[in-house]
Amino acid sequence: MKWYTYLAIKQLFPTGKRVSFFTAISVLGVALGVMVLFVVQSVMDGFQRNIRQAIVGTQGDLRVDSKSPIMDGDDVDTFLKSLPEVAATAKYSYGIAMMQRDKRPAFPIIKGIDLENELRVVDLQKFIKCGTLENFDSGGVILSGELARWMRANVGDSVEIYSPKMMENEDGDEVILPKTLEVAAIFETGYHHADQNIALLPLDVMQELYGLNGWIHGIGIKLKPNVRAEKFAFELNKCLNPPILAESWQEMNRDLLFALKTEKTMMFFVLLFILLMAAFSIAGSLTISVVRKTREIGLIGALGGTAKQCAACFMVQGLVLGIVGSAIGIPLGMAVIRFRNDIVSAFVKLCRVEDFMLKFYAFSNMPAQYGARDIFVIVAFAIALCCIAGILPALKAAKINPAEALRNE
Amino acid sequence: MSNIIAELRDVRKNFQDSLIFSGIDLWIEEGETIGICGDSGSGKTTLMNVLGMLDRPSGGSVIWEGNDVTGERSSKLSKLRPKLFGYIFQRCNLIPELNVLENLLFPRRIVTGVEQSDVDFAKNLLKRVSMSGAESRNITTLSGGERQRVAVVRAMMNHPKIIIADEPTGSLDERSADAVMDMIVGLCGEYGSALLLITHNGRFAKKMNTSHKLHGGKLEKIHRWSRES
Repeated sequence: MKWYTYLAIKQLFPTGKRVSFFTAISVLGVALGVMVLFVVQSVMDGFQRNIRQAIVGTQGDLRVDSKSPIMDGDDVDTFLKSLPEVAATAKYSYGIAMMQRDKRPAFPIIKGIDLENELRVVDLQKFIKCGTLENFDSGGVILSGELARWMRANVGDSVEIYSPKMMENEDGDEVILPKTLEVAAIFETGYHHADQNIALLPLDVMQELYGLNGWIHGIGIKLKPNVRAEKFAFELNKCLNPPILAESWQEMNRDLLFALKTEKTMMFFVLLFILLMAAFSIAGSLTISVVRKTREIGLIGALGGTAKQCAACFMVQGLVLGIVGSAIGIPLGMAVIRFRNDIVSAFVKLCRVEDFMLKFYAFSNMPAQYGARDIFVIVAFAIALCCIAGILPALKAAKINPAEALRNE
Repeated sequence: MSNIIAELRDVRKNFQDSLIFSGIDLWIEEGETIGICGDSGSGKTTLMNVLGMLDRPSGGSVIWEGNDVTGERSSKLSKLRPKLFGYIFQRCNLIPELNVLENLLFPRRIVTGVEQSDVDFAKNLLKRVSMSGAESRNITTLSGGERQRVAVVRAMMNHPKIIIADEPTGSLDERSADAVMDMIVGLCGEYGSALLLITHNGRFAKKMNTSHKLHGGKLEKIHRWSRES
């Protein structure tokens, strides 16, 4: 071990003492910064994972869609099923209709689905909060959570649907009769966009409401494992005739995913200031240490140490503080993540904001997810900042003339 | 002719406009002991620093083992210095984060790295200065005399050719000062190192082979005893 590394470690962890006060405070500062950064990034990742799961769970990996109805839907479906990357397909059609219950109207997006195939493509069953799918094909409707709440509809209630086709009454003397369907189930994904205003109907009912004569609007696709949706969509589009177009779930939700990614990045940079403050505190303490150890620096010069080596001694101290702080901060963060629900629960009870949390953050269990990459990035930033913090005192140490330092006696 | 280890030739030093000393000629031979005394502020420590090239002279030459090192780069001087000079300061300058043995081995760590032979040498020297068993003691628990003895041993660790002792007994009582002084002279004699003693104490200066007085920026020889006497 080089002498300056040895001395740096000894100055932080002196012989005969467990740890110096300066080291304890500096390490704690870095550890807390790393911990907060790790916890926030993990929770953000957890939320992102939940939202991604909700998106893929409700939309499938890929959609083959068209601006106008697809007349040869069966042919396209057969072609897609023949592709080796495709695990399952489900035809659908969609549009907007007026829905009414007890004179309480809503204008949801209605989506006609072939339930048997749809269940192979999306995780609908997973998101069903009440009711069953058994009665769906015999005139049932599945409502999204928020739509059901707005219409005050429960499982077993009837809802009336008016489609745009019904308005095309040329004579004007016909009485328009709505389609009445029974609420078979209510689903909730936890993802606001998917839960907001959607009603799922049997495909044949939807086709009848819109007068589609067996046409469809698109086909949802479930890909086999390890097939990348974006790449497959790109390849598939080479085989499809416009206006039929394949879009991966990432492309369909590009804005949302970009916002999530940006949010995570912004949070990282905002929280990096905590580490920056810790680094400044280290820089301050090390600079004081340089002043306090002026005579020692002079002595090292007399013993044969160079100015660069003296500077390296203080740089290494910054590096060691970064490494030790990170080594403590990451396990501390993992412990917080491990007990996050207990911590949140205690906080919620203490502040009496349980309903508020559920309403606005839509979780009772806080999601969290972390990977090696996140840990690497956080640790790398923490160590880099601590090293930078060591530069200022190092430069000061390098400027000290040994003779003047010894005269300091 | 005697073997000259370090030499100052017509050396001058001034800080900005203030002249500290000029026309200094001084040479240190192998195994020789030299005392330099003078009033406070006369430039004794500066002279010591110039000889060790911790401070560069404003004029003249510094010669180490026959080579003029006056214009040499600091990094090269840092490599040469510990082989030639061992320093003892008035305030010991021990590193408080290291224990006694770690302090003693630190000069070795800077120059070559520590080997078992260095540990054995340090322990032997500690024994020699009556501090056997103090290896793992914390510096803060040592008395002033003990600290200075550790500093003396540390100066010997690199087997330097010259020990430069700057007021090594300045902060000790008379009895401890005598003991430490005898120890320095004894160890230098034992290991063949020359000794340059900077002191206020004329009594200690007279114990040296040669004594000089730095006064008014000039170095005057007070006396020279033959080594045999």
